[in-house]
Amino acid sequence: MAVCVAVIAKENYPLYIRSAPTENELKFHYMVHTSLDVVDEKISAMGKALVDQRELYLGLLYPTEDYKMFRKLHNSYTDVMCNPFYNPGDRIQSRAFDNMVTSMMIQVC
Amino acid sequence: MAQCVQSVQELIPDSFVPCVAALCSDEAERLTRLNHLSFAELLKPFSRLTSEVHMRDPNNQLHVIKNLKIAVSNIITQPPQPGAIRKLLNDVVSGSQPAEGLVANVITAGDYDLNISATTPWFESYRETFLQSMPASDHEFLNHYLACMLVASSSEAEPVEQFSKLSQEQHRIQHNNDYSYPKWFIPNTLKYYVLLHDVSAGDEQRAESIYEEMKQKYGTQGCYLLKINSRASNRASDEQIPDPWSQYLQKNSIQNQDSYEDGPCAITSNKNSDSNLLSLDGLDNEVKDGLPNNFRAHPLQLDQSSDPSNSIDGPDHVKCASSLHETKKGNTGVIHGACLTLTDHDRIRQFIQEFTFRGLLPHIEKTIRQLNDQLISRKGLSRSLFSATKKWFSGSKVPEKSINELKNTSGLLYPPEAPELQIRKMADLCFLVQHYDLAYSCYHTAKKDFLNDQAMLYAAGALEMAAVSAFLQPGAPRPYPAHYMDTAIQTYRDICKNMVLAERCVLLSAEILKSQSKYSEAAALLIRLTSEDSDLRSALLLEQAAHCFINMKSPMVRKYAFHMILAGHRFSKAGQKKHALRCYCQAMQVYKGKGWSLAEDHINFTIGRQSYTLRQLDNAVSAFRHILINESKQSAAQQGAFLREYLYVYKNVSQLSPDGPLPQLPLPYINSSATRVFFGHDRRPADGEKQAATHVSLDQEYDSESSQQWRELEEQVVAVVNKGIIPSNFHPTQYCLNSYSDNSRFPLAVVEEPITVEVAFRNPLKVPLLLTDLSLLWKFQPKDFSGKDNEEVKELVTGEPEMIGTEVISEFLINSEESKVARLKLFPHHIGELHILGVVYNLGTIQGSMTVDGIGALPGCHTGKYSLSMSVRGKQDLEIQGPRLNNTKEEKTSIKYGPDRRLDPIITEEMPLLERNQRKRKCII
Repeated sequence: MAVCVAVIAKENYPLYIRSAPTENELKFHYMVHTSLDVVDEKISAMGKALVDQRELYLGLLYPTEDYKMFRKLHNSYTDVMCNPFYNPGDRIQSRAFDNMVTSMMIQVC
Repeated sequence: MAQCVQSVQELIPDSFVPCVAALCSDEAERLTRLNHLSFAELLKPFSRLTSEVHMRDPNNQLHVIKNLKIAVSNIITQPPQPGAIRKLLNDVVSGSQPAEGLVANVITAGDYDLNISATTPWFESYRETFLQSMPASDHEFLNHYLACMLVASSSEAEPVEQFSKLSQEQHRIQHNNDYSYPKWFIPNTLKYYVLLHDVSAGDEQRAESIYEEMKQKYGTQGCYLLKINSRASNRASDEQIPDPWSQYLQKNSIQNQDSYEDGPCAITSNKNSDSNLLSLDGLDNEVKDGLPNNFRAHPLQLDQSSDPSNSIDGPDHVKCASSLHETKKGNTGVIHGACLTLTDHDRIRQFIQEFTFRGLLPHIEKTIRQLNDQLISRKGLSRSLFSATKKWFSGSKVPEKSINELKNTSGLLYPPEAPELQIRKMADLCFLVQHYDLAYSCYHTAKKDFLNDQAMLYAAGALEMAAVSAFLQPGAPRPYPAHYMDTAIQTYRDICKNMVLAERCVLLSAEILKSQSKYSEAAALLIRLTSEDSDLRSALLLEQAAHCFINMKSPMVRKYAFHMILAGHRFSKAGQKKHALRCYCQAMQVYKGKGWSLAEDHINFTIGRQSYTLRQLDNAVSAFRHILINESKQSAAQQGAFLREYLYVYKNVSQLSPDGPLPQLPLPYINSSATRVFFGHDRRPADGEKQAATHVSLDQEYDSESSQQWRELEEQVVAVVNKGIIPSNFHPTQYCLNSYSDNSRFPLAVVEEPITVEVAFRNPLKVPLLLTDLSLLWKFQPKDFSGKDNEEVKELVTGEPEMIGTEVISEFLINSEESKVARLKLFPHHIGELHILGVVYNLGTIQGSMTVDGIGALPGCHTGKYSLSMSVRGKQDLEIQGPRLNNTKEEKTSIKYGPDRRLDPIITEEMPLLERNQRKRKCII
């Protein structure tokens, strides 16, 4: 279902990044990094439109079907954030989060 | 796109200028050669008109032409070779490097502060050369010759005869089927007769009389007497006259008839005009071996440049340097225009002015009028008839066909004088004289005609120029039709398979879009044209696209970085190593320190490698070092490759300067605070039944309880000896110093007793590291305690075994991600102050333990075995920070650390060594 899942801090560094085919990791890293510009663009567009601020989903960077995936990932990320031992801004090393991402990726292989 | 020196409104008219051919007699060529210039080159700096020109359009309206420029070039009967053009472009790009110390612009975007050079001169010179070196095509007339200058000298025996000969020659070239090149605008080309007169050598009376004769024959409008060479060449050094040729002749070599090398190395040498020697020998040869009129070969022929420095990927710098020397030798002493005074310059300027006013423009005006008349008559008759019949046959209405449907045909080709092409000719002429309104309407009509005929190449050409002239129309009555350009590009590329034309289209369109701040459209256009067939073009276009991204209203920093990397990759494939390195360095600013370790490693690796090939060894080392000391997430094989490259580069560095100081090695890590120092011989705590009465040994872990007990014991002993009082300067004896012991004082070591230092290494990599010849590095200050006046304090360093013996561990292997301690011994043979500075070793990998990675290896360290020579000697310092001080208020409020003297023992004189063993008692309960 997904080949690469990344959580990026607001200062543009990766909190978590994993891709399914390990041999071409570099390419995915470059792609994720470059797509941040699109995210920026969407956020600035959102500011103008004044849409519901609670809606965090920005839409698709690239046409794929899923929206639930984002929910799932985001919920999991919220769980990580709720962990009192997690220092916001650190790399995510939670096993639960890892398993969730794996479950998202397994479906493709 | 980056900022350019020229605005687009200047760039486009300068890229499409009226072309004039020049045909010279041998004698005339000889006269200009005295200045080291051909006739066309002689005119080049003066080819722009300084005043406005007026002409009348077909409707008899006055039209003003500003800044008109004409291009005079010698006739070349062979079209330029694509390979030669490629090479020329490559040279132009590699010759244009960013200026040293250029102040870069700082762009702040979000969290990023980037240093970016706002201009890209290499791209501009590439574009200029590219547009000038476009071969003339049949579907457009913009760079076809409009007129021909026939040049003869007054010193000739029969000048008038010579003129008619030249005229016949021109006629033969244009109308004979042997020559398909160059292309001529219309069948009856304007001929302009120029009589060249050498003032210093020739007879002025004779020249005047010949000129009178010419006027009789060709009319006053069609001939000119140009006087040059007022200055004798041997007085060249007397006065300094500005050399307006130097800036033209370096880059515009496309039209040079010279055999001067124009490689990247030669560019600097053209400028140097310090030597005023005029070597006439070489000059004569050039004239002699040239065929009459010197037009047989295009200067871009491949065989002409056998210079090794011009080979596209020649990393061999020694060769390049030597060829630089050669070309310098060849080019020094060439001063252009040495025989010309400032009056001569004015005369040439006057000549161009006269030629344009009296010859060229009336000719153009007349031609436009003729074409216009033809078109009107054709429109009246055939057009209505044609469209009527078409309507008749194809039903009620002609369906507007889209370009996509027409893709299957590459279109028909018209004969050169086909009536359909006349409107295009007229449009081109209007465009050349900057009459953009008329040009646009003509192009627009032509486009419709060509599309109806499905002549796709012609249609694309008309679309392209229609878009450009719509943009250049004064007052901008209509918005720039970008979709015309898109269609033209698509047609050129996909249907006609003509990448050169598509590229021209993209360069123009991107520049126009940029001037309208439509950066994202420009970027999309530039990226779309990158393809596999030309690395250099792709690299330049990607770089410009990257600049587009950063120049947007909200800068897209990451896209900029990514496209810079792509551009860098393409540059390196095209052999432009310096540009590649620059691109990667620019991209590095975005990725640096943001946790994108894979990308960062990749960039660092590339920078390291490019720097290495460019012999910037220090940069290479630091880039490679960066990959290794980062907590790397690379695979073991990759790390192995990085390490090998690092060692290889390091080896080269150290070979270059064998006497330099030992380099600091980044690997393995040393946990310096875990360093332990042990004084004295090894004592086994338990040997058989004997039990040493000590708690200290390197094999033992520190035990605070027992050390406290021993200390109390020692205190008691001292108290007994001193009759119940413990002296104030008492300190318990310490044999083993570690991070728990009190290290604030210099420890005492006894001469002839070994000092053992235990260093804790950690290998952060997934590949094993092999340290060989591992030993301690020290500094020793011998002291004679008995002598009173010992002013001479010598400092000695490692390598004096009579002072301090050093134990060497020949091989020390640290497995992947392993922490391991090494025990190193010193044997002091003299008293004094010893300072242990660090460790020195050869860092290497173990042989053949890993497979070769995908990235490949540097030349010379390919696959296969790695002998032990694949290691570098280096050192690492041992610096131990003392405990944080926390006694006074000042120390509490600031962060201060006390000294740690673990590694600075004082070697004292021999002392009695007391050792006590006690017999173990076996207790049976």
